[in-house]
Amino acid sequence: MARAVPVLAQPAPAPPRSTAARSVDSASGGFWLGWKIESNWTDPFRFITYQIARPVGGALILVFMYYAVAGGRRGPVLGFFVVGTAFWPLVVGGVQATVRGVLEDREAYRTIRAIYTAPISYRGYLVGRSLAGIAAMGSAAVFVTLVVGRVFLGVHLTLTPSSIALTVVATAFGVGGILAVGLVSVGAAFSTSHESWSMPEAIGAALYLVCGAIFPLTVLPAALRALGAGFPLTWWLEAVRRVLLPAATPRSFPWASTGYVFAMLAVTTAGALVLAASLFAYAERRARRLGTLDKETSF
Amino acid sequence: MSVRAVPRATGFTRIVRAAHGRAYPRLIGNFRDKTWTVYEILLPLLGTFAFVYVYKALHAPDRFVGYVIMGGAMTAVWMNVMWMMASQLWWEKKDGNLELHMIAPCGLLPILLGMSVGGIFMASVRAVSVVLLGSIAFHVSYSLTNIPAFVLVFVVALIGLYALGVTLSSLFLVWGREAWHTTQIFIEPVYLVSGIYFPVRALGFATGMIASVIPLTLALDAMRQLLYPNTHPKLLALWVEIAILAVLDVILILIARTSLKKMELMARREGRLGQES
Repeated sequence: MARAVPVLAQPAPAPPRSTAARSVDSASGGFWLGWKIESNWTDPFRFITYQIARPVGGALILVFMYYAVAGGRRGPVLGFFVVGTAFWPLVVGGVQATVRGVLEDREAYRTIRAIYTAPISYRGYLVGRSLAGIAAMGSAAVFVTLVVGRVFLGVHLTLTPSSIALTVVATAFGVGGILAVGLVSVGAAFSTSHESWSMPEAIGAALYLVCGAIFPLTVLPAALRALGAGFPLTWWLEAVRRVLLPAATPRSFPWASTGYVFAMLAVTTAGALVLAASLFAYAERRARRLGTLDKETSF
Repeated sequence: MSVRAVPRATGFTRIVRAAHGRAYPRLIGNFRDKTWTVYEILLPLLGTFAFVYVYKALHAPDRFVGYVIMGGAMTAVWMNVMWMMASQLWWEKKDGNLELHMIAPCGLLPILLGMSVGGIFMASVRAVSVVLLGSIAFHVSYSLTNIPAFVLVFVVALIGLYALGVTLSSLFLVWGREAWHTTQIFIEPVYLVSGIYFPVRALGFATGMIASVIPLTLALDAMRQLLYPNTHPKLLALWVEIAILAVLDVILILIARTSLKKMELMARREGRLGQES
């Protein structure tokens, strides 16, 4: 029978051989930590209530806005609202978790020095935190809001295997866009003070305007329409709506084919990730130079 | 060298000094680091504009745009109450300042009063900015003839909301990480039942009345009645709403005082004051 080797006698684990492997390790570590932080703060009942209350509240605001104007009539725009509010919590969850990852490490737990100087990929760690936020805060919202929309509001959703598969593909690109926004937001949080806590909400609110989250981009002025078309999140929501909703639903890009929408989703996501990586690197260098990386601020 | 003895402040003077001492860093901080204007004013303003475009997409009458602008202004107050009042003692606990607050010979209430003053300044700047910039951007017109009543509603609402903030802060005093998440729960659902972006009457009279426990609901309805006297579907008559708000203020202040004392005692007894989670 083999004898157990004492822990201290075991060889130290070999470091990952490549940068990619190190990034994946860091991301999975960040995800694990983020998931624990997001999910184990309360008992399962309260956690589920929390998961349901926010997204349903957000969706119902739009529904009542609609009914306040339409007076009880139903129309295709209701489906536009439901899908937008169903998927938007992924954005808020992802961006919020990334920024909170930095702020909590810096201001609350004061672990940022240890984490930043550890032999991990800091970017990978933040990506893991962001994915945990998306999973914890956003995934239930998608499901619950779509069910509420279908069952209680009578929104017609196309739920076939192919439409679900296309939604998953589009959402994978959408998550790429969310990670890009999250990294840029963290870059900004490196140089800002206490109000960075409210930054994710504020950024989410601003993107709400230009990404066609709750209304078609066609109602915006031309300049804002052009700005919105630069964000992968806009193309992601448009792609998901085209897949899940009937053709009569209002569209943000009525002139574009569905294939074009998916192509633009891929192109803008790639561009956003490259841009975000550059901006993050710049902000990180600047914060290191100014010594603000671990600077606590609170008033 | 002799040390000059500073006379110990007592009574009302102590309350004023303590409140001033706590309000000071908030007020001064706003002028030293102005990045908050981006996150507290500019970006949330764009979020408010998004809801304006929802009504534009629905071809709603112009007064609905005014509803959103007023709602956006009041969200500034609500967010301030939730983030910078209700959860502030939790932040202080995490920052390690709470023990200092607890041993200060003035009690927690004057400190929270000082926080409110600083918070009201920030929230008012944001609310006024939303109203001004929103009204200019979307050419919103109001039929406001009774300005004193409008100011009265705003002031009565502020008192009630910040008293509610103090009440919630006492709860957050004994909470751990759930405090942050609870703050989140108080955003969209409260916006929904308070009718932040639509007339609360759309929820039905009964729901509107239940939602009136939150001062935001009646305050917004009263302001909208004053801004659109002939067209707004009111929940209750204007002066009835103002009277209810005033009664709510008194009740919330009493609850805040009692709750703060109870929770402070419980937190001391159970050793949760310095407990981070």
